[in-house]
Amino acid sequence: MTPQMTVDLTLAAYDALLPVATGFVEKSALAFGLEQKEALALTLATEEVFLYLCRISAPGKGLEIHCRFTGYCVETEFVFEAAGFQMKAFNLTATPSFEDEAATRETGLLIASRLVDRFQLGITGPHLRLTLVKDKVYPEADPEGAPLSEPVSHYVVRRPDGEEVKTSIRMVSRYCRLRFSPMSARFPGKVADIFAAGHLDAALAVDAAGHMGGILFWTQFRGQTVDCFGPYIFHPDSAPEMAALLLDRCLEEIARSGAVGLVNRYPGTGLPPGYFEVVGSLDFFTEDGNWVQVEASYRQLGEDKGAAVWAHPELVPFLSAQYNRLTLPREIRYVTSEGEQRNAFSVLSAEMDRPRHWAVLRPVAHGEDAATVLADHVRLLEKEGVRALFFEMDLRFPWEAHFTPALLTNGFEPRFVLPCGTRGDVVMFQYRTHRKA
Amino acid sequence: MNPFFSPGRLLPRYIQTFEAYVPSKPDPELMKRYGCTRLYRLNNNENALGPPPEAQETLRQFPPEKAAVYPSGDGFYLRHALARRFNKEPEQFLIGNGANEVISFVIKAFCEQGDNIVTADKTFAVYEWVARFSGLEARLTPLKDFGFDEEAMLGRMDDRTKILFLCNPNNPTGTYWDQARLCRFLDRVDGRAVVVVDEAYAEFVEAQDYPDGLSLMETYPNLVVFRTFSKMYGLAGLRIGYLTGSTEMVDAVRRTCIVYSVNRVAQDAAVAAVPADGHVLRTRQMVKEGKVYLHRQLQALGLPFVSGEGNFLMVRLPFSDTLAYRKLMTHGVMVRTMTGFRFPNCIRITIGSMEAMECLTAALGSILGMDADEHTSR
Repeated sequence: MTPQMTVDLTLAAYDALLPVATGFVEKSALAFGLEQKEALALTLATEEVFLYLCRISAPGKGLEIHCRFTGYCVETEFVFEAAGFQMKAFNLTATPSFEDEAATRETGLLIASRLVDRFQLGITGPHLRLTLVKDKVYPEADPEGAPLSEPVSHYVVRRPDGEEVKTSIRMVSRYCRLRFSPMSARFPGKVADIFAAGHLDAALAVDAAGHMGGILFWTQFRGQTVDCFGPYIFHPDSAPEMAALLLDRCLEEIARSGAVGLVNRYPGTGLPPGYFEVVGSLDFFTEDGNWVQVEASYRQLGEDKGAAVWAHPELVPFLSAQYNRLTLPREIRYVTSEGEQRNAFSVLSAEMDRPRHWAVLRPVAHGEDAATVLADHVRLLEKEGVRALFFEMDLRFPWEAHFTPALLTNGFEPRFVLPCGTRGDVVMFQYRTHRKA
Repeated sequence: MNPFFSPGRLLPRYIQTFEAYVPSKPDPELMKRYGCTRLYRLNNNENALGPPPEAQETLRQFPPEKAAVYPSGDGFYLRHALARRFNKEPEQFLIGNGANEVISFVIKAFCEQGDNIVTADKTFAVYEWVARFSGLEARLTPLKDFGFDEEAMLGRMDDRTKILFLCNPNNPTGTYWDQARLCRFLDRVDGRAVVVVDEAYAEFVEAQDYPDGLSLMETYPNLVVFRTFSKMYGLAGLRIGYLTGSTEMVDAVRRTCIVYSVNRVAQDAAVAAVPADGHVLRTRQMVKEGKVYLHRQLQALGLPFVSGEGNFLMVRLPFSDTLAYRKLMTHGVMVRTMTGFRFPNCIRITIGSMEAMECLTAALGSILGMDADEHTSR
């Protein structure tokens, strides 16, 4: 496993300390293996965030900067007092403003958000944690480099090594004829690094002569669920029970991890019968210009103890029907709007896969402008070529449920409930005009 | 005050990766959520007959004012009762708040950072859990024919192996090592490590060749035996169990044991339960009849099962065990899912009253019937 390294800096938000903050992040990023260009982008993002904190949000107050290397990306985390921080600048749709000093500085945050591959905002007590992530750059897979695929009948299931992971990614590209696969599946080196970092695990079916028959990947347990990818069986004449044995290995590995569910949104060459429950499906636009319906499946890893979920009244009929169909005991609690003061601004994070024309929006903060912010996102993402647009709502948080009217108004429809998808049950919405010409 | 304090930073690395265990909700809450009006608990291998009548009487007679007085810190009267029963010294017994606590005592007593324990992958989870959240390596060996594999266990031993855990009979497969096999294993371990034999279900076993671990500890001073009052003696709600070994061994473990952890009601009830042979016979009879019935019904339903010693059996389903749990709960039957025991798509069923067994098999039949038409399992 790749050692995970973290370096920490504690300082105060003074302009004079800017070189300390940027120097710290730049040197850390380079030491952690980012190329000059990526390290510079992270450094510039740091500069914008730091100056914003110095001048607008937390002048003179203490903050911490943590630089973490995971093996395939560098994360720079800022921890500071939340009061006064304008998260709205981290909306993909935020536009530069030069009306006053504060607005100009928010433009800096906007620039920071665009300089990195992803960001995350979280609140711990009075503190905000802003994490900027910059990925290493990897070459795309060359499927021609995959070895010949042969039927494999006598095999063992075991954990692969890094080279086997890369080879299997090339074999998936070449032999599995998938119409839909995760973005990172195009980059064998990246998958190998994620695997080496311990953020991804795998089970490989391999025979005594070293012929690889199939593979299943799953993510490290974080939160409540584990995501699995596959199984990918490389030859149609391989042993029929191979997919089930790969899944058994996965289940044995995660059975006592504390995870409550196993989710499959990328079924590879097909799931074996009896392992999963289908929760629903989403429509994706494929590279060959067609729409494909992809099922999402899950299984719990332990006994369902029941839970309370928060929902807007408009979503309750859908939720009740879904919970009834899945025999899931849930107490649905209503969120209401009764004239109380709300935040002015909403913030969404967006994960986008440009080559596959899809994006998923996740709420970061809810405000009065939710409908407008959503509409802006839809417009912008459509302009960027996104055809399949999704929205994930975690029912554990009442504030997320408040997005419901804005979603329905903007043409999103609930597609399915994923029990304990992140921390609570997750409703997956899809923008319903996605099939329009 | 440091404004950036976060308790997570103080946690050892091996604890940071752990999620807190969330226990099941109380029965009335579960019944409300699943919409059932009565609930058969077939999930924890509890005794449907309850505690022996002698223990029940003791519970009824417990003077409430005695709740204000600390109990015996080391289960004085219970240790003497066990010593009389098994013809040993009271000092050879250590009482714990359920068998889980004595597992912790032994691991704490013998293991330090860098040490490891060896056990099976598909057995009672607590040996593995306690080792892992103590920062120790748990070396797991695959079962062979649903039973512990002595060759595999010996093969995983090294000079940092301190304890080998054997669940005999094994939960959840019901397999057991006979006397000859256990002695052969102990001979080959040759005192290099502590051998713990967990006999939580010993009182259910009628096989003649089942070893009585308590009789072997004079020959094998590295042997420790766990037993519990939670299963056969129906005192699970009071949390009381014990370990026994040579005086020297128990002295060693006692150094890490928490005194006063077992309450007085539990101690008194256990003392009354020790000689309750009639209760043991009645329970065995109920289990025997339940198994005969269940074997027949499961065969009729076309469900493969593993049934050995103990008051439980394990059934393989054609769909997810966790889905089965939810559906059975709506029929008022609670079973134990086996994914956590690394037997995906299997459930473990406690053998209980005939009424419960009939309700279970009717519910299973109903679910299997539904399976063909309407439920969503793939």
